[in-house]
Amino acid sequence: MNIRRAEPKDLTNIQQCNLQNLPENYHMRFWAYSAITWPEVSFLAEDSSGRVVGYVLSSIEPDEEFPWLQVGHINSLSVLRTYRRLGLAKRLMLLSKKAMIDSHDVEYIQLHVRKSNRAAFSLYSEKLGFQIHRKEIGYYGDGEDAYSMRYILKPRSLVHRLGRRVHGFVYGRQRAFAIWTLRCSKRVNQIK
Amino acid sequence: MPPPTLAQKDKKLFADLLTQYENKQLSKGRKTADQILKKYPDHGETMCMKGLILVHLGLRDEGINLVKEGMRKDLSSHICWHVWALIQKSERKYEDALKSYVQALKFDKDNFNILRDTAVLQTQTRQFEGLVETRHNLLRLRPFNRHHWVGLAVAYQLNGNLAEAKQILEYLEGFLRNVGSYDVEFSELLMYHIRILEDMGNFQLALDMLDSNDRDKGGSILDRTTGTEMKVRLLAKLKESHVDDEKKAAWTEQADVTWRWLLSQNADCYEYYKGLLANEGIDLANVTDENRERALGILRTFFNVKPATAPRRLALDVTTGQDFIELIKPYLTNALSKGIPSLFADLKPLYRDLTKRQVIEDTVEELRTTYASSSPPAGNSVEPTTYLWTLYLLAQHHSFLGRHKQALEILDIAIAHTPTLPELYMVRARVLKRAGDPYGAAKAMDTARLLDGQDRFVNTKTGKYLLRAGMPDKADAIFSLFTKKDTTAAADLEEMQALHYLVEQGDSYRQAGKLNLALKKYYVIQKVFDSFREDQYEFHQYSVRKTILNVYTEMLKWEDNVRSHPSFIHAAVATVQIWVALYDDSTLGPSLQPSDAASETSKKALNKAKKAAHKGQPEADGANSKKGESTRRSVTFALSSLRSRLLSAVTATQSEDRGLEPPRRRDEDPEGLKLVLDKDPLECADKYLAGLTELVPRSLDVCFATYDVAVRRKKYLQAVKMLIRARLLDPEHPDLHVRIAHLRNTVSSLPEPLPAPIGPVLAESITSLLPEQVSLELFNSQYLQKHSSSPMAVLAHAKVAQISKAPQEEVETILFTVLKQPVELDHKAAFSVLSYLKDMKSSRAEEFRIACNDRFELSTLFKSAEEIATLQRWVAEQEESQGDDRESPETDV
Repeated sequence: MNIRRAEPKDLTNIQQCNLQNLPENYHMRFWAYSAITWPEVSFLAEDSSGRVVGYVLSSIEPDEEFPWLQVGHINSLSVLRTYRRLGLAKRLMLLSKKAMIDSHDVEYIQLHVRKSNRAAFSLYSEKLGFQIHRKEIGYYGDGEDAYSMRYILKPRSLVHRLGRRVHGFVYGRQRAFAIWTLRCSKRVNQIK
Repeated sequence: MPPPTLAQKDKKLFADLLTQYENKQLSKGRKTADQILKKYPDHGETMCMKGLILVHLGLRDEGINLVKEGMRKDLSSHICWHVWALIQKSERKYEDALKSYVQALKFDKDNFNILRDTAVLQTQTRQFEGLVETRHNLLRLRPFNRHHWVGLAVAYQLNGNLAEAKQILEYLEGFLRNVGSYDVEFSELLMYHIRILEDMGNFQLALDMLDSNDRDKGGSILDRTTGTEMKVRLLAKLKESHVDDEKKAAWTEQADVTWRWLLSQNADCYEYYKGLLANEGIDLANVTDENRERALGILRTFFNVKPATAPRRLALDVTTGQDFIELIKPYLTNALSKGIPSLFADLKPLYRDLTKRQVIEDTVEELRTTYASSSPPAGNSVEPTTYLWTLYLLAQHHSFLGRHKQALEILDIAIAHTPTLPELYMVRARVLKRAGDPYGAAKAMDTARLLDGQDRFVNTKTGKYLLRAGMPDKADAIFSLFTKKDTTAAADLEEMQALHYLVEQGDSYRQAGKLNLALKKYYVIQKVFDSFREDQYEFHQYSVRKTILNVYTEMLKWEDNVRSHPSFIHAAVATVQIWVALYDDSTLGPSLQPSDAASETSKKALNKAKKAAHKGQPEADGANSKKGESTRRSVTFALSSLRSRLLSAVTATQSEDRGLEPPRRRDEDPEGLKLVLDKDPLECADKYLAGLTELVPRSLDVCFATYDVAVRRKKYLQAVKMLIRARLLDPEHPDLHVRIAHLRNTVSSLPEPLPAPIGPVLAESITSLLPEQVSLELFNSQYLQKHSSSPMAVLAHAKVAQISKAPQEEVETILFTVLKQPVELDHKAAFSVLSYLKDMKSSRAEEFRIACNDRFELSTLFKSAEEIATLQRWVAEQEESQGDDRESPETDV
């Protein structure tokens, strides 16, 4: 199978590939938004007739704890059932990972996987070295739990923690100020 | 009457009103507006603002009326025009909104917000000349903002003024000297600049710029892969456009290194191999005997790159004879031992070469014998699954070549060997489908599904096969296992833009003669594509602001061509055919209406459908339904810029603000019963086809569909143009033959000849298709002589005979010749002939059906209605009861 970067002209076929194969579906504007904002990190596999048989759609997000740092996010990964065992999923993931490191300097890569999806879980954990970060209860629309998994590229360093201190300090100041003004305005209202 | 002027105090009040609107303090704004209107009941601007606020508050009709009234009072106010433009925009009337914005600009040419919105609308409607002007004005107003420079450059590029675009980018880069080392936007800007140089043909300049900004040399281009791909493309173009030998050698060498670097990044990209070989002067698609050895040599050097499969596969394309035999065997054994299900799909393109096909067949048969004997008892190193996958491959091979029986026999052995592998039943389903047994196919696919209920792919396939077997209810039940629980499968799949489903469902209804329901589905497809076109709206401003330029301009191209997607073309052609049928037979529309006798049941069905439609579209507030959507899909990503805007438009909606968008209207005609009674079916057909002939000039189906509409609307020149185009694509196509005869017949039987200049031009064009001295009868018999073995040609011959008013018996006799030598009849063609016989209400249709039923023993297409009903019941049965009362008629397990 031919493996290459996903381009805007592939959007319709990527969406259809997803709809046939996975229970998590998205509107076109979501696919278009991701593909346009981070064009270099999404890849696809196609057969000789140009049919999209697998894809990985990724994005770059700010970290939850350290919002000034960037992390890679695997939004959707899918390979049609009849095109499995070729190692397509693994290769798509590796290409996306390389692109994330290369052009966005991400701290780690994260993804969610259904608790019951053993095949995907073993791909991520055994073949690709992802580790469980935490369990998210009721993450999926049907109520199923998800494992949030991460592949760490840069271990947390002193700089990170220091950064968090600084950030926490600034943020705390802002918050205190906001609470103070809120109280003041309440007071003023009471006086009125 | 001039609009009243506000006193100073009231002017301030009006300014407050504007701020309140901007801050979305709607009720407050409404009060302020009322306050002004009390004093100045004729103040147009206030009326418009109040109207706008009312729309936001959900009083859409009242609000719009007020805006219109306000407009009448004050046509020279930019505010009034702006408000009106906003409302038109919310109704997605982009062209009209743009006109209003242009009006608004007449009265306030430097209004920044209006200019910005105008630019977006001009991009959306592709009015690039105006866009350049608007972007110019924006830049003039805010020259210190780099986005406006970028915006102008993009506008120039879109309008084709590459030199101006380049100039702007050079200015911009000139004063952006202090960029950080990791500036994604600057990197993109440089790449955009380089691409414009490439488009201008300045390959050397582009290459120099690329080199001087190389990241490895401390430059600013971050995306190595894109940069390198660009570089190698430029080198190839330089080589093409120069004759200088010395330089050429240097470029070739440089390109070779670059292609190899790209291959080290991704050794499975066919494009890279193609480029690498092209650099050596070898065209991968057309390898000749002279360079075959060399091509294979180059590919061989990549054979050991793990885990790439592309070089070995490409080598199979390139080689012939002994080399091929030597390469194919390890390729097959490797894939079979791994159990790769897509092996056949992978090999299929090689079948164009008959020798290769035979080699593959021989090799696989040989492997089968080896594996069969070395299977379990011998205890060899070969896994039993390898044997199984060999059978799997062989079955697909034979089925592809039309040997369905053989394929089924092999599958029976495989299933007896391992009864739990879903893939075997999936192939079995495919074989049965090809053999003309949609019911057996659906059953087999369902068996596969029951073996792996967690897999949506098999589920989708099962639903599709059930639809093809004419069982929409059962299909719906299957689909709904993977769709949203609080609505019907149909509604959810529509909502999620599932084209594959919509096409199948529409076709299924059409097959069953429910033209009204089929049309409904095909129109949903049109709606999906319309929404794709609308999706780009958000990106015009966003891309410029975030400096996402290359991929954005690519996206605009995709949007322009999005309707060339096969699903859209299929739906368009099918829709046109239905409209044409409704036009040709005006009793058809009324006949689709529920009759009085059946009104009780149909009322129930109608209610059910209404409920379903209702469920599918959580009425009134479109925004709220979207909110449910996004939470359901668990899009719990960190919200960044546009996405947060996309979602916040949804989640942050206050109870008060209903937004500007009109609420989604409930479908008043869920079954399309009113739709099929439309007074002008041809007009409807024409609308669906709009622009399609330019978009896909090479589609025969679109040519024919356009002809069918044009000729009935008496647009003969357009009609003949389509036939001339079709003849260039496939001069012997049966449908073309029929239409040429149809056109000649139609034009010659006009009561009076067409006036000049149309008449003579038309006559000349028709003569070019069918010389005047040739009679219709002669034309028809010549065609049959030429294609005496093709059943579709016989059918076309019969149709033309009917056009030239041959008696029905004669037409029937012609059609029955498909059953005799030398016609090579297949079940598909036979089914078309049967449908045609039925359409002409032939008394011999039943006779033909029985003849076909005897002839195609695997097929169930020619069973009687009762037999088909029994088959459908059998498919719908649950697995538990399978096997006890009735086996599939064509399985002899």
